[in-house]
Amino acid sequence: MEPRLASLVLQGLKEAHVKFVVGLPDSMLAGVYAAAEKDPEIRYVGVTNEAEGASIAAGAWITGGRSVLVMENSGLRAACEALSRLGLVNGIPVTMLMGYRGDLGERFHWGVNHGITMEPILNALRIPYWIIDREDQIIPAVKRAVLHGISSLYHNAVIFRTPLVDEGK
Amino acid sequence: MKRYELLKELAKLVTDQDLVITSIGGVKPEWYSLMPGNGTMFADLLGCATPFSLGVALNLPHRRVIALDTDGGMLFNLGALCTVGKEAPPNLTIIVLDNERYEGVVGSPATHTASGRMDLERIAAAAGISSTGTVKTTENFAALAATMPSDGQTGLMVAKIEPGIFRDVPPDRVKESDGIEDKYRFMRHIEQLEKISIRPRYARE
Repeated sequence: MEPRLASLVLQGLKEAHVKFVVGLPDSMLAGVYAAAEKDPEIRYVGVTNEAEGASIAAGAWITGGRSVLVMENSGLRAACEALSRLGLVNGIPVTMLMGYRGDLGERFHWGVNHGITMEPILNALRIPYWIIDREDQIIPAVKRAVLHGISSLYHNAVIFRTPLVDEGK
Repeated sequence: MKRYELLKELAKLVTDQDLVITSIGGVKPEWYSLMPGNGTMFADLLGCATPFSLGVALNLPHRRVIALDTDGGMLFNLGALCTVGKEAPPNLTIIVLDNERYEGVVGSPATHTASGRMDLERIAAAAGISSTGTVKTTENFAALAATMPSDGQTGLMVAKIEPGIFRDVPPDRVKESDGIEDKYRFMRHIEQLEKISIRPRYARE
């Protein structure tokens, strides 16, 4: 994601009073991680896997620190165990921002499987999601996702599709 | 050294200003019987009690946060220790209750810590956690638990305990709440403690 679009993501997060961006870097949303790390109003926490990331985000959220988890959509698979327990047992929300790796037209063979599993997993966990591909959707989608986490006390996701995200080299 | 005896010592040290996060397992009913107040989040996380506690500690840096984790939970997600070491919150203390067993499983099969060839304390230190220790007696546990949460460093203590769950909990101290009730109690407690609104009745932008 180019810096100009990443700045819109950050703007949406700040307008939603998000304090923590927890992330495991990927190519599609590379600009978002970089922007979050530099932003003095955001605490960026890099993690070693997405289950850990979901848990850190949840711990911050339940104590009043609004948070999001940023990752590639493959991270959803790694996060499933923690998301299931946090969401279905405790009802502590994690809002996720993901790039749509494996979308129709995916250029890398290794990315196709990410697209095959993403939506079935989201549906299995009954996680509502929005797939966006226009610049004017970024800020409202991010803000509404954070808001929806507060009202539903359950996870949700915003998925960024090309041309909003970089497919990588 | 029995877990319940350690938890009794810890309960003497935890104040109403502190926050405690538990993992799944026998620690939950035992800790509840000793500290049924709302300052504990009885998380139902497998391998993620420590990262959850890290999120709490980072968000509330003025609070002492104590994670009651287990050997099985820690081994499930060792990478979390590296994130704790990197972030280095001075207000986080992780207590690993290491019974060398998957106690909730029929037959209580051994965890890797039972091999004697691995050392969770050394792993934590190598991950960048600045204050670490291993205790094998109740006296040593009480001494370290009295200082570690207030020493201004991220702490991890491995407490080698015997297998076994304390069964003689008084009826009025039996934990009957589910995860949703536990969440609300903890969240409302934080709202009162910090004088903040985490989830207003009507969420607004």
